Order: sequence, then C-alpha cells, then structure tokens
Amino acid sequence: MNYFPDEVIEHIFDFISSHKDRNSISLVSKSWHKIERCSRKSVFIGNCYAINPERLIQRFPSLRSLTLKGKPHFADFNLVPHEWGGFVHPWIVALAKARVELEELRLKRMVVSDESLELLSRSFASFKSLVLVSCEGFTTDGLASVAANCRHLRELDLQENEIDDHRGQWLNCFPESSTALTSLNFSCLKGETNLAALERLVARSPNLESLKVNRAVPLDALTRLMSCAPQLVDLGVGSYENEPDQESFMKLMAAIKKCTELRSLSGFSEVAPLCLTAFYPICQNLTSLNLSYAAEIQGNHLIRFIQFCKRLQRLWILDSIGDKGLEVVASTCKELQELRVFPSDLHDEEDNDTAVTEIGLVAISAGCPKLHSILYFCKQMTNAALITVAKNCPNFIRFRLCILEPNKPDHTTSQSLDEGFGAIVQACKGLRRLSLSGLLTDKVFLYIGMYAEQLEMLSIAFAGDTDKGMLYVLNGCKKMRKLEIRDSPFGNTALLADVDKYRTMRSLWMSSCEVTLGGCKRLARNAPWLNVEIINENENNDLMMERNEEDEREKVDRLYLYRTVVGARKDAPPCVTIL
Amino acid sequence: MEICNSYSSSSVDSTNPSPSESSVNLSLSLTFPSTSPQRATKQDWPPIKPRLRDTLKGRRHLQREYDTCLFVKVYMEGAPIGRKLDLSTFSGYESLLENLSHMFDTSIICGKRDRKHHVLTYQDTDGDWMMVGDIPWE
Repeated sequence: MNYFPDEVIEHIFDFISSHKDRNSISLVSKSWHKIERCSRKSVFIGNCYAINPERLIQRFPSLRSLTLKGKPHFADFNLVPHEWGGFVHPWIVALAKARVELEELRLKRMVVSDESLELLSRSFASFKSLVLVSCEGFTTDGLASVAANCRHLRELDLQENEIDDHRGQWLNCFPESSTALTSLNFSCLKGETNLAALERLVARSPNLESLKVNRAVPLDALTRLMSCAPQLVDLGVGSYENEPDQESFMKLMAAIKKCTELRSLSGFSEVAPLCLTAFYPICQNLTSLNLSYAAEIQGNHLIRFIQFCKRLQRLWILDSIGDKGLEVVASTCKELQELRVFPSDLHDEEDNDTAVTEIGLVAISAGCPKLHSILYFCKQMTNAALITVAKNCPNFIRFRLCILEPNKPDHTTSQSLDEGFGAIVQACKGLRRLSLSGLLTDKVFLYIGMYAEQLEMLSIAFAGDTDKGMLYVLNGCKKMRKLEIRDSPFGNTALLADVDKYRTMRSLWMSSCEVTLGGCKRLARNAPWLNVEIINENENNDLMMERNEEDEREKVDRLYLYRTVVGARKDAPPCVTIL
Repeated sequence: MEICNSYSSSSVDSTNPSPSESSVNLSLSLTFPSTSPQRATKQDWPPIKPRLRDTLKGRRHLQREYDTCLFVKVYMEGAPIGRKLDLSTFSGYESLLENLSHMFDTSIICGKRDRKHHVLTYQDTDGDWMMVGDIPWE
C-alpha cells in the first residue's frame, strides 16, 4: 500500500467513514496516520473534556463535522448540577479562530449560549447542520442568529433541549432566499410559534423531509403545512386535546393521505382520539412511531392505531398500552427492531391492570424476531420471563430493563433476578448496552463479567452486595467504555483494584455508593491521566482538599472520573472538586 | 428559612461530644429536589428524561394536592455536613422530630431549652430565630 501515491490511499480512505475504523487505520503506520488525519472530515468526541479544541484542530485540519458530548448520562435524571460544565463556547471560538470550514455540529448534554450560536452563525460560511440534543443555556434569540446568518443551513434539529422561549420571531429570521432546508425540528420549544412564518418557510423548502413542530401548532395549521409539504418523510405534530370538528377533520385526513412518503410520526403531546384516526391512511407505511408523550390517551386507542402499522421498525410508547397492547404489537409488527415502553404513572395510583408486566415483554420477544434494542419500564419481572426472552431474542444489542420499585425480587419466587439477567448476557453474545434493575446480588455481576464480552455500557442502580460485584465487571468486560452506578454498595476496594482499567474506558460514574474521599484521593494520585471529580453541593468544598483523617470515613456523594489528555479542566463550578 | 438546634447546658455529657453553651445550627434552606441525594426521590427515579417527567406530572386527572416536594437541609452544630430531607413526607412535628432524632442520633425537642436535649429552631425570612412548633404544621 505504501507504493501508492498518497492521493490514492486517501481516496481509498474516503470509503471508510466509521470512526472506529478510521481510528484503527491511523494506528497502522506513520504515513497512514498522516494521510488519515489530514483527510478526516468527521470527528466524534465522546467526552468534551478528554481533549481540547486546539489539539483537535491541529490533528484534523480538514474537519467539517464535529460531534461533542458534555455531561455524563445520569445528568438526564437530575443527578448532575446544571452548572457542572460542558460549555461549547471555547470550541466554537477555537474553530472560528483557526478558520475551520465547519459544516456540521452535533452536541449532546452541552451548555450552549446565545453568544455561542451567534458566533457559530457568523464564523462558518458553509455551515449546514446543527443538531442539539439535551442541551441548555440558550434562547430563541440564538436560534434567530442561526436562521438569519447560516445561508446554507439544511438542518436545524433541536431534541429535548431546555430553551428559553422569548416568543420572538426567530422563524421570521430565515431569509426569503433560504430554500435548502431538509430538516427542521423545534418540538421542544414551549412558547407560541409564528404560524405564518412557519408556513412560508415550509412552502419555500421543497427539499424538506423532516418537520417536527411544537405544541403550539394547531390542527388547521398542521393541515396547511402537510398540504404544502406532501414530500415529508418524518413528521412531528403538536398538541391536539380537543376533538376537531367534521370539516377540520376531513381537511386533515385529505392532507395526510397525500403524504405518501411519510415513514416516521412523533409528537402528540396530547391527542384527542379522533385526531389519531386521521392518520390511519398512512399507518401502513410507517417505520417509526413515537407516542411516548401521549399520556392521556387510553390503551385501546393506541392498540387500534398500531394494528394498522405492519411495517413498524421502531416504536416508542407508554405503558398504558398494557400487556394486551404489547401482544397486539407482537402479532402485528413483525419488522420491529427497537421498542421503548415508558412509564405513564409516577405515583403508582392507577390500577395495575393497565401497566405492563413480564407477560408483555415475553410476548414481544416471541413475536418480533428482528428485535435488537429494548427499553422497558415495568412494575414486576420474573426470572422465567427473562430466560424465555433470552431464548427468543439472542440478537439483542441493547437491553435496558427498569423495574420501577428498587430492589424488587422475582414476584413469583421472591428470589433475586440474577438468573434472569444472567440468561440475557449468556444468550446475547452481541450485547453492547445493558441496564439492570430489581433485586440483584453480586452473582449477576459474575455472570456479566463472564459472558458480556461485547458490553460497552452498563447502568447499575440499587444492586449488588459487596465490592466483588463491581470487580467482576471491571475484570471481565474487556470492551467496557461507560460504567454508571448509583445507590450500590461498591467502595474503595473495587474502585482502586485496577487503576489502568480506566485507561480503556471513557468514564465511570458512582453516586450514593461506598467510595470515600480517601479512596478517591488515592486514585487521583495514582492516575494523573484521570480527572477524578467529586460533585458535592454542600458549601465547604475547600475543606475537602485539606482534611485528611476524616477522608477515609467520608463517603463521596457523587464521583465522576474520566480519562483525559489535557489534565484538570479549568471551568469547574464550586460544587465540583477535581482531585 | 433556617432551623437551629440549640441547648443551653454548660455541663457536657461525656457520652455526648457536643460543644457546650452554644446554639446548634440546624439551618433549613429550601433546596431544589434535583440536588437531593435521597434514595428514590421523585426527581431522579425512575430514570426518565425531564420532558417525559414534566408530561407525566402535568397529567390532569392524576394531579395530587401535595404534588410538590419540600426539601430542606438540616445542620447540627459541630457537624459540617448537613442532612437533607423532604418535609412533605412528614405528617406533623412529631414525625419530623422522631426522624431528625434518629438521623442525628441525638434527642431533639421543640420548645423550651433543656439541658439534656437539642432544641429545634428555624430562621424565618426576616432572619429571626424561631421555635419550631409554635405555628400549625400546615
């Protein structure tokens, strides 16, 4: 290969787009490293504090597309303070300064300011795509800058962000000349929407394939939008709590019928059952359906809808569908690959009959041969069910089970669920992601360490008995990248047993466990290439660095450690101490 | 609001290693539920994202009268680390005292200063130290 001119090798590398493969290529030889890095267009950084923007730009001067992730995953569940960090601003500043021709920016769990968005919009003339997931810190003013200044914007995708809605005219800020939009998602905005501006924008965007509106887009507006965008493939609708009148309903149905390319449907934060029926004509084409915000809708309406969705590959739904509903899914959706069943009742007030149990899970596993990813919230589970599921579905890549009550045993035998989860990891040889729940002893971790060879991400809550549990996982799972643990009795022995293991992982999170400040300090001393962060919202964090005798007894509330090549970050807030 | 815990005895009980003649500060400050380390709080369990959590909280027919949590932080003088608890889980002063006594491993009472016990007080919005128990629980 080295006898080929560089351009030929580079051309061959162009066909390789996966980050893992490109990382492997760069390790082959010095010349391949150079060719690879100079031609790399797309970079993924799973932890924004593992590297800094200057080094990124130095290594990859031809960067066009950057993905950055900030806060750890448990931030989604209010376990990380808002001010923890993950600021995108320094990245945008550095990229702008180096005149990188940035075209795409994808951020997850980062803090984004209006200033950052303004700078972004003015610095990159070819900027095409902005995707923000679970971010916060900006307002619709920032969106207005992006709309106004990014002349070649194709994609603006805002998923589950905390955005301060100033009810301004950001949609109006797209210039009349802007006709290149392919994807627009503002479903997480809480305020009013300028409907006229939206309709004009959609009308002049013939390439628009994905449109997800917010709650404030009423039915008649939706009808008009669909009428002028029959080419839509992916639609997110608003909130329709009132039943439409006959005329509105007919108009809506007519518009929907024209959308023959529609494959994905979402939104529905509230939906009157009649509205749902308007979508029946296109159900048979749907491959993706997200009804997980439709909390008021009864199971029977959901079931009737899903009965038409024979080509569904992805389904996100609430547990109000019930076991009966899941049985219908199992017999209807033979192409199903991914299922997520979310809880609909946090206060445990509803009749247990309407929730889902192990019965629904088994039915799905038996009926859907292509199923590879599942997230399942339920009130009860049994080992027998999990063993059956494992037998039916050995192809799971992602298996996340959340039994709502912590430490709940098998409800028929009162035993732990070790055997059930053990069966899953033994059968599913390709399992990459696993979340555990229910009553679990150290034994389940013995199984995981023994069998889960491809496991990259493991989430543990209220599980295990001793440090042995965590040690089984750290010693056994060679491909582990992200380990997150809460409310489990693992302590210093497990934390410190194999410090070098953390070189091979992106991060470790431990909250409400048994690790102490002394243990964390020892770890930090032995591993200078780790950032060991203690998150503690009590006031006296300065004292933490000084006191010594009490360190061994003082338990750490939240620990987050991650490998990094750039040392301790300088933007940590007072509640975070980096040891 | 801040709660203070004070006792006035000048003779220190040898089995109770607390400072003598001082007000023990049990400061109550309202904290956001998201910062509570308590197990299975309403805000960090089950593990669902904020948007779904808000959607479910907004469910009209299931709206409870006492939907809000009321987390407070309680300090005992001599111990730098405060303990957090949810006031809305208690039915009245008795259950609060019982729980606090258990939590701090000491006996706590409301009302008059007493040499053997810790006394629960709080600091109101004006900054004045008040006895817990004077006003009705609600």
